[in-house]
Amino acid sequence: MAYRILIVDDSKLARMAVAKAMNNLRPDWTRVEAGDAAEALALVRQQEIDVALLDFNMPGRDGLGLAGDLRALRPDMPLAVISANVQHEIVTRAQEIGAQFLPKPLTEQALAAFLQDAEQRIGAAGE
Amino acid sequence: MNEFIEQFLVECRELVEQGTGDLLALEERPADRERLDSAFRAFHTLKGAAGIIEFQAMAEALHGAEDVLSSARSGLAAITPALISDCLTCLDQVVQWLDVIEATGEPPADAGPAAAALVARFGRAPAPSVPVEATEAAPAMEDADLDAASIDLLTAQLALLADGSAEPSPGRTGSALQVAANVLASAGRAGEAQRLTQLLVQPGALRDPEAAAAALRSLLAGPLALAEGPAAAPRETGDVARGLRVDIERIDALVNLTGELTVAKNALAHVAALAREGAEPAAVAAILKDQHAVLDRLVGELQRSVLNIRVLPLRQVFQRFPRLIREMVVSLGKPARLVTEGEATEADKAIVEALFEPLLHVIRNALDHGVETAAARSAAGKPPSATIRLSSHRDGEHVIVEVADDGAGVDVARVRQVAERRGVADAETLAAMSDAEAVELIFAPGFSTAETVTSVSGRGVGMDAVRSAVERLSGRVEIESRPGEGTTVRFVLPFTVMMSRVMTVEAGGQLFGIPMDSIVETVRIGRDRIVGVGAAEAFVLRDRTIPLIDLAAALGHAGTAARSGEANVVIATAAGQVGGLEVDRLGERMDVMLKPMEGLLAGTPCVAGATLLGDGRVLVVLDLQALLQ
Repeated sequence: MAYRILIVDDSKLARMAVAKAMNNLRPDWTRVEAGDAAEALALVRQQEIDVALLDFNMPGRDGLGLAGDLRALRPDMPLAVISANVQHEIVTRAQEIGAQFLPKPLTEQALAAFLQDAEQRIGAAGE
Repeated sequence: MNEFIEQFLVECRELVEQGTGDLLALEERPADRERLDSAFRAFHTLKGAAGIIEFQAMAEALHGAEDVLSSARSGLAAITPALISDCLTCLDQVVQWLDVIEATGEPPADAGPAAAALVARFGRAPAPSVPVEATEAAPAMEDADLDAASIDLLTAQLALLADGSAEPSPGRTGSALQVAANVLASAGRAGEAQRLTQLLVQPGALRDPEAAAAALRSLLAGPLALAEGPAAAPRETGDVARGLRVDIERIDALVNLTGELTVAKNALAHVAALAREGAEPAAVAAILKDQHAVLDRLVGELQRSVLNIRVLPLRQVFQRFPRLIREMVVSLGKPARLVTEGEATEADKAIVEALFEPLLHVIRNALDHGVETAAARSAAGKPPSATIRLSSHRDGEHVIVEVADDGAGVDVARVRQVAERRGVADAETLAAMSDAEAVELIFAPGFSTAETVTSVSGRGVGMDAVRSAVERLSGRVEIESRPGEGTTVRFVLPFTVMMSRVMTVEAGGQLFGIPMDSIVETVRIGRDRIVGVGAAEAFVLRDRTIPLIDLAAALGHAGTAARSGEANVVIATAAGQVGGLEVDRLGERMDVMLKPMEGLLAGTPCVAGATLLGDGRVLVVLDLQALLQ
């Protein structure tokens, strides 16, 4: 099943890296990109997004804040917060929101595990 | 260069700029939480970017800085000038790495020690243990004069000679030595080339590849390695970037033009067929005229598009100044801040890369001479910290770059005094000069008003060096002084260095081009008005004595037969010199794509370059600065 994934990062380079990994892992998925939280929220309101990958460190609202907003809008959407700093506090807060924590730079392996989990959850929710 | 590296360079340069701005702001207001967060984010994102292109050394260095900033955010560390300095040094190093990546397309492999030094500086790790690599493998040969290709060639020859597995062959030894000698000779290292060619003729030397290898190795390790100078010294001249990042839209524009040109070409084939079939000449002429108009437009667009590929944002040179200003402020003890505007303005690559030195000089000058001490500023009712505004904008075909300070302005009375004392101008000329004209004297050769020569503005290089640097780029320098309010130095530069407007003239039976921006006017002078001054000639025009140069004679052409009638004179100016060039005939004005002289003609005196005319003749364009000196 092909889904629509939202990639939020203020660095275009980072989005390119995720896009490249997605191309290897799930070439049939549609990718939607946003450079900050406001843009991401606007996109989620406009279109049907199935999965979201959020960078933690962004100007304006950070990835955790955005994850909270998205959770409120779409309680079932699989979310991941990506950060280079594996800090206990961030990991815990991500879990509280119900988002998975992924270390940066994102490896294909970590992304693959998240995507697989996300597919199962979407499938289960749809049944 | 792949798209990841391209995006990496774009993002990192922006982040360096953001980080530098934040750090400098933090130094002024250490409690500014927003700036601290922003600086942290810049370092953090830089680190992430380095990770994505797998440039581990850079990621580690930035991690060190990030940790320090992170402690500052959580209140564990104070924001001290030392901390700011360390972080700025780290960004400096990043910029150097970016320059290398821009030039080579990949992260430098030897970044480890520099990164380790930074990490140590941030106190994260013990002193770096720099692995001492086996020196036998490849001697360090990074030399400014030898490009990577030459070094590769030399290393390849060495490998060939040192290859013990193969049977020694005099032919192979000889050819390896010859190739190495050629590489050295073409890099302008004649002496070293000769040492190798001498080996070639030594009896028995060719049978001994080991001796040849030793000779080459000693050259690589010795003179060539020595010529590299301090390896870690920051390259201030910025001549690193050989590669060029080009927006995809600009390439697309060229692709589209190629398509349109092909259509135009096909249309011409159609016209040719019509003519061959005996169509009415007038009808063919009409179609040809239309087609010419189409080609004219397309070629014009092609020229513009090609030139657009060569443009860079001025950010590349501007972003080097905040750090330098900070250092100057510390060494001069005059508080000042730099404000930059219009960094996104674009100019030809050659111009952007050549602007650093003259701008540095003007900025140093502004801080050193223009800006008053904090006490004097307070007394004058100004804020104690001075502002230097570095800005740029596009103005038609020109790019304007300005350095404006809010200092005391140029002390005109002192300029007049000094000019007289140093013999730059005599008392009478000075008396006749307006203040604005007198201020321009600071650009005169040999002028320097510094009471004491400071380490910042230095000795020997005056503003005249700035003027000639800008004029070399076909630009001009203007200065505007507002007493008590400040000074503005303005560079008016062409958007591109390649397109030049010239006027053609004929002299000694040959056609020459004179750059239009140097031409003041053209006049006809009666022979009786030309007077001998020693061996030279001059004439008076509107109360001004102007030396007359016979262009043909000055360029070494056979002297023209005795001239009669009025003289056709082009009054031209360059580097502050005015002269009249006598020519046989004045021609037309045209836009030409100037090419520097190459090969045998390189270095021809008084020649700026050449271009090909419609009828196949070569138009030599004159270098007036050289001609009028």
